[in-house]
Amino acid sequence: MATEQETERGRFTITQSQRDRIARFVRKFRSNTKAMLGFSIVVLLVLVAIFAPIIAPYPIDATNIEDRSQAPSVEHPFGTDDLGRDIFSRVVMGSRISLYVGFGAISGALAVGAVVGVVAGYAGGLTDEILMRVMDAAMAFPPVLLALTLLVVLGPELSNVVIALAFVYTPYIARVSRSAALAERNEAYVEAAVARGESDSRIVFSEVFPNCMAPMLVQGSLNVSFAILAEASLSFLGLGAQPPRPSWGLMINTGRGFMETAPWMLLFPALAIGIAVVGFNMLGDGLRDVLDPKVEAIE
Amino acid sequence: MSMYNYVFRRVGFMAVTLFFVTLIAFAVTNILPGDVALLILGPNATEQSLEALQTQLGLNRPLYVQYIDWVVGLLQGNMGESLRFGEPVAQLIAERLPRSMMLAVAATLVAVVLSVPLGVYAAVNQNEAPDVSASMFAFVGISMPIFLWGLVFILVFAVWLNLFPTGGYVSPSEDLVGSLTRLVLPAGAMGFALTAYIMRMTRSSMLEVLSEEYINLARAKGMSQRVIVLRHALKNAIIPVITVIAFQFSYAFGGVVVLEEVFFWPGIGRLTLTAIQSRDIPLIQGCILVVALIYMFSNFAADLLYAYFDPRIRYGGDD
Repeated sequence: MATEQETERGRFTITQSQRDRIARFVRKFRSNTKAMLGFSIVVLLVLVAIFAPIIAPYPIDATNIEDRSQAPSVEHPFGTDDLGRDIFSRVVMGSRISLYVGFGAISGALAVGAVVGVVAGYAGGLTDEILMRVMDAAMAFPPVLLALTLLVVLGPELSNVVIALAFVYTPYIARVSRSAALAERNEAYVEAAVARGESDSRIVFSEVFPNCMAPMLVQGSLNVSFAILAEASLSFLGLGAQPPRPSWGLMINTGRGFMETAPWMLLFPALAIGIAVVGFNMLGDGLRDVLDPKVEAIE
Repeated sequence: MSMYNYVFRRVGFMAVTLFFVTLIAFAVTNILPGDVALLILGPNATEQSLEALQTQLGLNRPLYVQYIDWVVGLLQGNMGESLRFGEPVAQLIAERLPRSMMLAVAATLVAVVLSVPLGVYAAVNQNEAPDVSASMFAFVGISMPIFLWGLVFILVFAVWLNLFPTGGYVSPSEDLVGSLTRLVLPAGAMGFALTAYIMRMTRSSMLEVLSEEYINLARAKGMSQRVIVLRHALKNAIIPVITVIAFQFSYAFGGVVVLEEVFFWPGIGRLTLTAIQSRDIPLIQGCILVVALIYMFSNFAADLLYAYFDPRIRYGGDD
């Protein structure tokens, strides 16, 4: 009886402390300028992507040879490209591609990487060795080169970019999750769960996993910005999104041929990439400040 | 764990990683859509000639035999022959690799020259205007992909200001000045993008050292700020910075694939792209392998440096 009461009380304190932790997190997050700024940029981007068809004044493929390579004006705030298409509309619609690849690839990487990392960290021993050596091998390739190689096999297409980048960023998530799981493994609540006779998989997925979420989220949000950069690089090289899709990287690839006569073709998509990357970087950095007590202590 | 044990363990890990890397390079190019024999002979080849070539190239042997054969060849320095160039892959790579190295080294140099003084300056003026602007400068650098900085640099310094050529490569032994003027923009663009991490590390390392007891002692003895910062603090603060620089070099090398395309720099990055575009399988394999190897070894060297300078890494074990 006594033990059961204790467990009950133990569970109650956990939920209470969790509630406190969430409240503290929200408070700290809101007082962190970097986190809030990054968060605002990301929210803005998501809104632009959702309402893109309403915001964009012209269809993305509306060519108009008479209006080609026009400098920015009231009708075309970002100018027009070599086919007379409105660059503002294309940049706005392009946000969908960047966010699709960024979120898509990192969700995939999180799904696989988190499981691999937490299992490796919790199990230790041979399982840990094998899983992490495989992850090391994937990390031995420069990210863009690995993605490029995978795209050669999968074929140059946007959905394949998502798959390739998910693969590329999985080991980064796995590493972070593993060290988080290692730290959690020796915590009292795990010992308690073992003593209660809970199965390993239950302990891993319903006890250890939720406590490893913080570093995964930080790494994930930083990796979204890497994935957005990588998509731009791959599309620039002609192995990512294919024309006439308004991918920012692809627009830059076209714009580079008109650098002297129509620099806006290159500058606006470049600016869009910069804003997206800064947003996710700041959010990730800010999240790290908020979630990691060590960083707070140093600063 | 002693340093020797640590190195030993790491070399062991690397051997395993190396095995996986060759496996990936081999697998990727062997599940490529399209048969090598068909690629060589073209779509109009007869069934017979295809079969003959497949036998000649050993393509109808089991995959593991082909893999072992390939690895044995690699160990003897034989990477096969490029389908597109009709030359040995090893020779093609040997010709272009030094150019990529030149670019990566120059970029790392630019990054060091920019970031170390900036980091020191930021640390000395902690939380004041110079610190904030140095952080901003570094933040701008990492906010855009390297290839974009390349294009922006071309636009500003080559197209608008007409200071440097827009791209291309000249061998330094033929025309040193021409070679260096073509190196400035790509190395500058990449160096700028690498600045942030080295600067951050210099700054935080300097801040840590500047708060040490002996610095206060030096101040109390009346030493000038300049002597304290440059002679005493920097010497001790630079150690972790060196390891970050080593990591950044491997990062720079990984980035040349895209940067070379921007600047028409005929290094291993562009060779990889050409190989991919022309589905030149032996060349793709060779390029992937060599780039991965160099990336891996420079990361390994950085790891060793890190462990050497920071005993906590070793004694704390892997956990």
